[in-house]
Amino acid sequence: MSQLFRRLRYLLNRRRFDRELAGELEFHREMRGGRPFGNTLRLREEARDAWGWTWIDRLGQDLRYAARKLRQSPGFTITAVLMLALGIGVNVATFGFFNLMFLRPLPVRDPGTLLHFWRQAPQNLADNFPYSEAAFFAEYSKNLSAVMAASGARLKIGAEGKLLNAHFVTPNYFSELGATAAIGRLLDPLQREGPVVVLSYPFWRSHFAADPSIAGKMIHLNNKPATIIGVASKDFSGLGLGTPDLWASIAQQPYFISGSDLQGVQMWGRLRPGLTPSVAEAELASLAARLRQQDPKDIWENETLPSQPGGYAATVRPEMYPVFAIVAALGLLILGAACATLGSLLLARGVSRDREIAIRISIGAGRIRLMRQLFTESLVLAGLGSATGLAMGYAALRGLMIWTDSPEWLNPAPDWRVTAFALSLGLAAAILFGIAPAWQIARQRVRATKVRQILIGAQVAASCVLLIVAGLLVRALNHAVTTTPGFEYEHVIAVYPSLQGYSPVQAAAYFDTLRARLSHVPGVESISMASNPPLGNRWTVDKANVAGQSINIHSNHIDPRFFETMKIPLLRGRNLMPGDTQAVVVSESLARVEWPSQDPVGQTFSKDVVVGVAANARLVSPEDSDAVEVYHLAPQELLPSMVVLIRTSGPVEPLVPLIASTAKSIDPLLFPEVQLLKSSFSHKVDQAGYATLTAGVLGLVATLLACLGIVGIVAYAVSQRTKEIGIRMALGAKPADVLSIVLRQFAAPVIAGLLVGIGGAAVLSQILRGQLYGISNLDPIAYLAAIGVFVMAAVLAALLPARRALRVDPMLALRYE
Amino acid sequence: MPKNEMPSGALVLLILRVLRSGALHGYAIAQRIHVLSSEVLHVEEGSLYPALQRILLKGWVSAEWGISETNRKVRFYRLTPDGLKQLEAELSGYDRVNEAIQSVLRTA
Repeated sequence: MSQLFRRLRYLLNRRRFDRELAGELEFHREMRGGRPFGNTLRLREEARDAWGWTWIDRLGQDLRYAARKLRQSPGFTITAVLMLALGIGVNVATFGFFNLMFLRPLPVRDPGTLLHFWRQAPQNLADNFPYSEAAFFAEYSKNLSAVMAASGARLKIGAEGKLLNAHFVTPNYFSELGATAAIGRLLDPLQREGPVVVLSYPFWRSHFAADPSIAGKMIHLNNKPATIIGVASKDFSGLGLGTPDLWASIAQQPYFISGSDLQGVQMWGRLRPGLTPSVAEAELASLAARLRQQDPKDIWENETLPSQPGGYAATVRPEMYPVFAIVAALGLLILGAACATLGSLLLARGVSRDREIAIRISIGAGRIRLMRQLFTESLVLAGLGSATGLAMGYAALRGLMIWTDSPEWLNPAPDWRVTAFALSLGLAAAILFGIAPAWQIARQRVRATKVRQILIGAQVAASCVLLIVAGLLVRALNHAVTTTPGFEYEHVIAVYPSLQGYSPVQAAAYFDTLRARLSHVPGVESISMASNPPLGNRWTVDKANVAGQSINIHSNHIDPRFFETMKIPLLRGRNLMPGDTQAVVVSESLARVEWPSQDPVGQTFSKDVVVGVAANARLVSPEDSDAVEVYHLAPQELLPSMVVLIRTSGPVEPLVPLIASTAKSIDPLLFPEVQLLKSSFSHKVDQAGYATLTAGVLGLVATLLACLGIVGIVAYAVSQRTKEIGIRMALGAKPADVLSIVLRQFAAPVIAGLLVGIGGAAVLSQILRGQLYGISNLDPIAYLAAIGVFVMAAVLAALLPARRALRVDPMLALRYE
Repeated sequence: MPKNEMPSGALVLLILRVLRSGALHGYAIAQRIHVLSSEVLHVEEGSLYPALQRILLKGWVSAEWGISETNRKVRFYRLTPDGLKQLEAELSGYDRVNEAIQSVLRTA
């Protein structure tokens, strides 16, 4: 340890030590009188070596030289840095987003010890709990120092009936998360409070015009008076992404929402220091078993309570892997294309430095030392590229945050993870684009074509993959807007009555009244219900393996009029009928994979009998062609959560106010939500549009990079062979011959690159299958179009500099050199 | 006269040994070894100074400023407690190896 210290002290006082050593050697030489003495400079260097810092001097030398060299050719340097910055910036932006969501802890107190729980039993899985269970854990758990619960609801504020998002939380929520109040105070776990609420910062600004004397004022929520006690600070994130408009104590939920039974709350716990999550999970499982003896209705048999880290904006779920994979692959492809282009530029530059290298070798520079010098130049470029890329990625992310109106605490400024990511990408890029040229140049083998051809092939392949993916997405988008998804959506309105606190019988009565009142409205053609409305935000998906193929089964509970309302034709068998408890209707696609050569009607599908086959209708995810549907008749107990679907004969918009007021008039305490399927659909298509746009931009950027590389390389090839071309022209070669001399050498690598690119795209697009609206991931039109675009761009890029070959004057060329 | 070079391990041992009786500057160390070895061993500057840097790095000697016999300001090297320990360890190790070699030479 002290040795390291002495070494560092030497490093810091290097100049003084060196001076002293020189003086010492001088003294020694004097004492020796006239007798021979070694070369003082060399002696000093050897003595210095003992301290092990010579590499720093060499590195400094290399860096200074590299900086000088790069300053000498600003055009090359700027092009190179921009290319790298583009490649790195794209990746920094995607990683930065990933970091914000999944890696960076929320700005709450001690986020590392927070756990988010869900409940699991052999037959059941849920992310929400009866509040009684969470309260039981809070009271008896020894391994959790605190248990927090929260549930979201929509409340009507004031008389105008504007809906807002409220989170009902346990009173320890704020203190446990270390939140501070911007104004007034927050919920106090130590005292029993009446109906009080805490406002979120954005809501206080937007709805109360940032009134500084807001604390103590009254508001009416769902027509119930409540007191505002304070405003949470601007950077309070809560747990998870959705910041509500206000918070209230969970004990007050029945006060604001009559009939609320507190059956679905999210639960978090704070682990005591030094314990592992599994200890807490085991304890909660045994507590749940104990509670089940008192309350067998709410607690499942063999209930377990798995947890995941709770202190993050979001947690990674296995179904996200394909998305991550494809985003990462696209970003890395861009960087790969940039590196390949830069590699060829460096090689071309190496030619002009041939003489410099030759001189340096002839005065004694070792090849390793030269390679190190050349690679240092690449490192400097990579460093500059990383820094610029970091800035570009931050700007992109910042723009996205502003555009999506993200909460204030979600700060996209690069932290150490993003910075380290950008730097390591830069290092990897430097190795990718710098090593091969450095090796070639230092061995004075710049004219060898192998490396050059590999680099061209890599550029072509990377750009091709990106273009094909973009082409597939464009095709899918086009398909989505020009074909129907298999059901009627232009003229359908969905009404979410949210019958919280209703019993099944009350719900049935509500729906009967609603149906009776709406059926008289002119323009209403058909009314039905479904548990998972089409294009809605609820769905039930089972993954199943049918005939070796993984498919997503979307199951839905409907009433018998559903198919008629949604205009989904029944292809075989019969519709569901009242009293059908063991019957299902399946979609044609499911029937085809499950019973390829038999009549599906009468078969059993997971304990139910198939009574009918409906045409394919991808109700929830029109983009996923692997999805199949299963329809059950909605049982009585599901009625309170059903959604009403209304089809109109004419335009839907004029009917919306009437339908909304009708749904509300039956029970003034309800706040039914009305959605147009049309807008849900266009929202979905918009999202696909953004993805397509992004992929398209990436594809064009990659193509541009590849074209830049091709221009550089062909220009170089022309300048290399000026003399040869001149001779050939003097001997009577035609323009076509000249072009073929220059361009022939690139044919093989471009074709190889195209083939690799097509293969790569075919593999990569497998992941995209579920997003293509039924377009095959091997869609020939997309592939041909992408290849066509690329080949055209590449030919243009090659011809631009190749024309120079045609203008070669044979006389001048022959006199040259 | 043939020059008798020595391995650097032995040089370190000799440097530490001549410093035991007090601080010396670089030239004096070389002289002392030369004289004490009855002018058999020559310590070359090319090995003396790198060796001294290594010993400094190990912390076995410390450097301080002093005035030479010719009235010049020059660096003196002084044995540290760590250096003394190292010297003793190396001496006993050297004795053991030397005895072993001698006994082989005698009896073989």
